[in-house]
Amino acid sequence: MRGAAALLALLAAPLAFGDDPPPTPEELVKIRAANAECLSCHSEAGLKKPPKEGMDLKKLRSHLVHLDTFTASDHGQMACTKCHGDGYAEHPHAADAKDEIAECQDCHARKAMRIERQFDKSVHAENLSDTFTCKTCHNAHTMALASKLRDPHKIVAQDNKICLDCHDSDLAFAKMAPDNKKRPPIDEIHDWLPNTRLHWKAVRCVECHTPTEDKLSLSHEIQNKDKAEKKCATCHSANSSLNARLYRHLQAEEQNKYGFLNSVMLSSAYVVGATRNPTLDKALIALFIATVLGVIGHGIVRIITTRLRRSKNHD
Amino acid sequence: MTKRVFMLPLWIRLWHWSNALAIIVLSITGISLHFSDPGLPLVEFSLAARIHNIAGVCLAVLYAGFVIGNIVSGNWWQYVPKSPGVIQRCLRQMQFYGSGIFKGEAEPFPPTPEVNFNALQAVTYWSIMYLVMPVVILSGLVFLYPQFAPATLFGLDGLLPVALVHYLGAAVILLFMVSHIYLGTMGPKVSSLFKMMFTGWYEH
Repeated sequence: MRGAAALLALLAAPLAFGDDPPPTPEELVKIRAANAECLSCHSEAGLKKPPKEGMDLKKLRSHLVHLDTFTASDHGQMACTKCHGDGYAEHPHAADAKDEIAECQDCHARKAMRIERQFDKSVHAENLSDTFTCKTCHNAHTMALASKLRDPHKIVAQDNKICLDCHDSDLAFAKMAPDNKKRPPIDEIHDWLPNTRLHWKAVRCVECHTPTEDKLSLSHEIQNKDKAEKKCATCHSANSSLNARLYRHLQAEEQNKYGFLNSVMLSSAYVVGATRNPTLDKALIALFIATVLGVIGHGIVRIITTRLRRSKNHD
Repeated sequence: MTKRVFMLPLWIRLWHWSNALAIIVLSITGISLHFSDPGLPLVEFSLAARIHNIAGVCLAVLYAGFVIGNIVSGNWWQYVPKSPGVIQRCLRQMQFYGSGIFKGEAEPFPPTPEVNFNALQAVTYWSIMYLVMPVVILSGLVFLYPQFAPATLFGLDGLLPVALVHYLGAAVILLFMVSHIYLGTMGPKVSSLFKMMFTGWYEH
């Protein structure tokens, strides 16, 4: 188990920075200084008090980056110009600068290959293969890996927002969807799921809408209702699949706290059927069996003694 | 010749059997949820969850009816063990269940319209109905509306203590139910007390 975790860490480490090593502290100081220049315009402060005159503020408004969110994100230690190429080095930016923005796979080549195979089978590829890219879901300025966020509530909030931004908004859905496709009402199609909205606060859409085959990360094969998980007991049982999903990054911390199975989940959610205490369960089952046997035993003794008395009375 | 005495008004009998039905449904679905296993489902999880929720609300409503009915009719007084000598009478009752009944002794404190319950019954029924049931119902309602549960407690989800209390309380009620059904055979005839629970008349 530990060996597998180490292998996973080894494999995940280079992926965390694309295929490049992380910057040294000196490099990071330079990166932060260069990024500060970009953010002198591309931030709320820059928008309020533009450092230059004659800027297109309307356009700028839709290109703002929040420094703290960016710093906490997976790309937070990278220079803006790493993706936004030379055309953005000066202001005004070069006319064709936009065409030079790096693609995800430029850095994440191996990951992209793995993900592409999964994505090709997804419902998104099926319906929107031309328009659907990594960026449709993954905002490079804000996204953080689940292993980095750690807190299941934060992971759920980040990941479900991505799905719900389109699937819970007619406007956003219509922008992406084929012309004749109407957005299925998200609550209605999930009304078989008890405590629907509560589930969405506690687990991710992808918990049910992806297959479990990928060992490195969650699969990008987003599945529609025909293939998605519908059996409650897949998560709600002692051998809960949430261990391999939402809680995979916390598995090392699982200590069967207070004797509970899946106690790693208990830190953020009580999952009926999964977070149970086998000792308590056994004690109560034993008590139940003892009561039933006691009652049966008492009944048998009653029947025997009654018969004995009757036959005695006959004599 | 058998004597007949009217013991239980209709509302108590109706409450008793609806309550019994609700508890049986809640036990079966509750066990299905707590011991959920994809390999051997008793009742499928989402179905069990829905039935458990509905039956739980029914039980809460029935409980409210029980409390109000008891206050209005004065029946609550039946559940109060009357001193002096409660402990002695409980011990006497236990002695009857433990040995007397095997020797063919008569029930030491048979029910009368004035005093329905023997001391042991009164103590047990009072504890179940006024201690355990409210705890199980209230914790169940928190389960139904988890936003009222504390967010966290000792670094664990705040629903944990609610769930534990609900589970333990339900187990006590289930154990009570098993004994209660069996003790129902302890009347003058095996069927006497069951008959009384349906007709309201005690035959002895």
